[in-house]
Amino acid sequence: MNLDFFVYLVINTLVVIAVSPLFVSLIKKVKAWTQGRQGPSVLQTYFTLVKLLKKEVIYSPNSSRIMRVTPLVTMAAILVAALFVPLVFVPEPVGGIGNIILFLYLLALARFFMALAGLDAGSSFGGMGSSREMSISSIIEPTTIIVFAALAFVFKTLNIFDMFALTAAAGSPATPTLILIGISLFIILIVETSRIPVDNPETHLELTMIHEGMILEQSGRNLALMELSAAVKMTVLMALLINLIVPFGLATTLSVAGILIAVIVLVVKGSILAGIIGLFESSMAKKRFFQLPSLFAMAFFFSTLIIIIEVFS
Amino acid sequence: MIIELFVLAILVLLSGTLFPLIAASLDRRSVRTISLSCIIVASVLLGVLSIMNLLSGESVFFTLYQPLPEFSFSFVLDRLASFFLLIIAVVSACVALYFTEYIEHITGSTRRNLLCSCTSLFILAMMLVVASANTLSFFLFWELMATSSFFLVMYEYSQLDPRKAGIFYFIMTQLSSLFVLVGIIVLYVMTGSFAFLPLTTVSAPLVTIAFLALFIGFSIKAGIIPFHKWLPYAHPASPSPVSALMSGVMLKIAVYGLVRFLLDVFTPDLWWGVLILAAGTASAVLGIIYALKEHDVKGMLAYSSIENIGIIFTGIGLSVIFTASNLPLLATLSLLGALFHSLNHAMFKSLLFLTAGSVVSATHTRNIEHMGGLARRMPVTSALFFVGAVSIAALPPLNGFASELLIFMSFFSSVAVMDPLFKVLLFICLALFALTSALSAACFVKAFGSIFLALPRSPESAAAREVPRAMLIGPGILAAACILLGVCALQIFAVVGFAVPLPDMLLVSLLLIGMAALTYAVLYFTASREVRVSETWGCGTLSQQASAEYSGHGFSEPLDIIFLSIYRTRTTNERVFFDQKNCIFKEGTGEIRLLKIFEEYLYRPIARQSMKAANTIARFQNGCLDTYLLYVFITVIALILFLGWFA
Repeated sequence: MNLDFFVYLVINTLVVIAVSPLFVSLIKKVKAWTQGRQGPSVLQTYFTLVKLLKKEVIYSPNSSRIMRVTPLVTMAAILVAALFVPLVFVPEPVGGIGNIILFLYLLALARFFMALAGLDAGSSFGGMGSSREMSISSIIEPTTIIVFAALAFVFKTLNIFDMFALTAAAGSPATPTLILIGISLFIILIVETSRIPVDNPETHLELTMIHEGMILEQSGRNLALMELSAAVKMTVLMALLINLIVPFGLATTLSVAGILIAVIVLVVKGSILAGIIGLFESSMAKKRFFQLPSLFAMAFFFSTLIIIIEVFS
Repeated sequence: MIIELFVLAILVLLSGTLFPLIAASLDRRSVRTISLSCIIVASVLLGVLSIMNLLSGESVFFTLYQPLPEFSFSFVLDRLASFFLLIIAVVSACVALYFTEYIEHITGSTRRNLLCSCTSLFILAMMLVVASANTLSFFLFWELMATSSFFLVMYEYSQLDPRKAGIFYFIMTQLSSLFVLVGIIVLYVMTGSFAFLPLTTVSAPLVTIAFLALFIGFSIKAGIIPFHKWLPYAHPASPSPVSALMSGVMLKIAVYGLVRFLLDVFTPDLWWGVLILAAGTASAVLGIIYALKEHDVKGMLAYSSIENIGIIFTGIGLSVIFTASNLPLLATLSLLGALFHSLNHAMFKSLLFLTAGSVVSATHTRNIEHMGGLARRMPVTSALFFVGAVSIAALPPLNGFASELLIFMSFFSSVAVMDPLFKVLLFICLALFALTSALSAACFVKAFGSIFLALPRSPESAAAREVPRAMLIGPGILAAACILLGVCALQIFAVVGFAVPLPDMLLVSLLLIGMAALTYAVLYFTASREVRVSETWGCGTLSQQASAEYSGHGFSEPLDIIFLSIYRTRTTNERVFFDQKNCIFKEGTGEIRLLKIFEEYLYRPIARQSMKAANTIARFQNGCLDTYLLYVFITVIALILFLGWFA
């Protein structure tokens, strides 16, 4: 492991933790505006996290060790997954870090633990959330892998670092194929981060909730970790989309000025994307759970069509 | 050295087989322990010799006994054989260790001695199949393996279910042997020898017939859909360690057979690969979808074995396709993926079967709906099962992920090089493959959640206690193997001499541990450390009820509905009314039954036709001496005429 890479580890982790609560609040703000409300401050998520850290943790007497280790494992898995997607600076890949399949499965590792923690306390809310989350994640998986295979096919590499290096070198605007893949990635982003029309991140009602249901039993610092890891996951997926479609500003060599510019550019681009997500969520209603498979089937056909066009052209 | 070790292992296993037979009437623990110790010793010998051979890479040929000039019991230990011997060795050692304690907890007095004897014979047979240097001895030991495993399945013969399962298994396994025999005979007709030698004629119709016969034979044994039906019957019926051996090792012997014939005998066509790939993908997807619906823990594991064998066949199919299209690097990559997955599946599936056996012996039920809350009552068993569940759900950094990643990578790289039509096929298979691994994560969240988490759902489950130590050490070794094979996958491949493009899982694991430690440290210094154990929100009830929590069935309900068209239920609804216009309801029955599609549309019709044919033939046997004399007379006349004309 060389020095560049070590610096990358530190920078990437710090940046992702620092900016992700901002994007979460921004989406909430945009949604509030479209509903004619003023909405919470854009720093509200930071305040919430700090408040949660000060609270005590309550465990159900029925829960096992799973409940106690899940927040740590989830956070660790998501943070390692975040290392696979360079936010501001693309170093040379080391030891297969950046492998796109491993990235996907690190997210799955976090999900596996979260779903088990949902079942652990024995409440029907948690179980309901886990069951729905695992079902949804299973049926979106073929689409995700097809989109990733398309990326690997277009860039002739499996490594996200190499992909970003290629897009950063080519500069904007992206090719038509990439824009089509970008649309599929956007759908995956919506599904993976539990947003409308798949899930509603705002409510704890049993009719709508999936992700929120799973973490209903968490409290105190554990809840803070779950919230933060969800925010980090969203930021990482957003960064994947941003750096593939509009890569300008991404630093490829290590310099303080370059990194600073890259951070500012990332915040701007991320805020715009957060605004788009907020508008997208406001423009539609949540779908009934059993209508989701047809939505996913559409996404799947769409992605497969792109690939077939690409393959035969 | 290697030959001596091999012969010694055979002798030790033979004594493990014969000793409990000699002492069959002694219902002593020592008898069984000695026999099982023989298995452990032989496994250690086998493990040492196979690792030596894998590292040196030499192939050792030797003949033990030559009854006929044309036929000998000779063995060859090359890297492929040594690899499968290693699988046999590791799993057998752990299973035997577990068995020493488990066997004392099951009923059957002196019959248990026979169980030890048969287990030893079964392991011996599997070992000799793998080492066989010619097709005829391969077949003979294959048959010995089939027969000894039949006795193992029939252990609880006094109950109805095992008896049915045993007969079903016997028929399927004999069918498998029949197809393998046909394949071997066709090969003999073509080459005039029983040796594993490359065929000179490339694509004659006979070659195709030989391949198809062998493929069907091995598919039946491996449990490829639609020949899979024996697995979900045989596994729940047999004792758990036997299931672990059968699912962990015996299915791999079928994989070994297929790989051996494909590599050494045939020059495969492209469509063979497509056939194997299609069969593998179908088994993988359908296997896991059926596993989701299963509430018998061992039945669920059996279906999941079908899924994993499907994944292995997918790898083999890809390898054949790449070989036929002249891409040797990719072919090696996907074959390595398939073989590595065979090893990994052997580890985590026997681990899961053994721990499931512990759970069943602690709760006295196989239904996961009657378990629950065992994580607090059986902490070590639950941790071991958890390692198995994470491995089988293909999550990093454990071993199931490492081998599936190899297959994923060969899929991903292949789409860049194959011609367009093949790309579309490969993309579809890739999507289904991804679906399989995501569903298996869902399936094992359900399994672990229902068995170990939340509140106990039956009094037996509430009273469950941790199992004795011997029943923890065996699975413990397997769990350690799962972790080691996953974390050090890259290093292990490097030691054996293959450069695979795997990510460095050791680095990823270190990063995971580092991140967790860092998070913990930051929380320790910044966050409140107060912890309280108290009743959490239970939807307004005073305390949590086990009856209110999510059951396994409820957990898989959304997926049940999504895959409704695959499950195919039959709804029957009969009503009787008081009046003629069907207004006033009198009584009625209704039921929704899960259709066993393959059984109803494939197995039963074939069975019916066979019965019909058998009845027709049975008419010749009327018990009358005159008729039989007539048959003899007609036969003699026919022979004379035949010889007169043709000889």
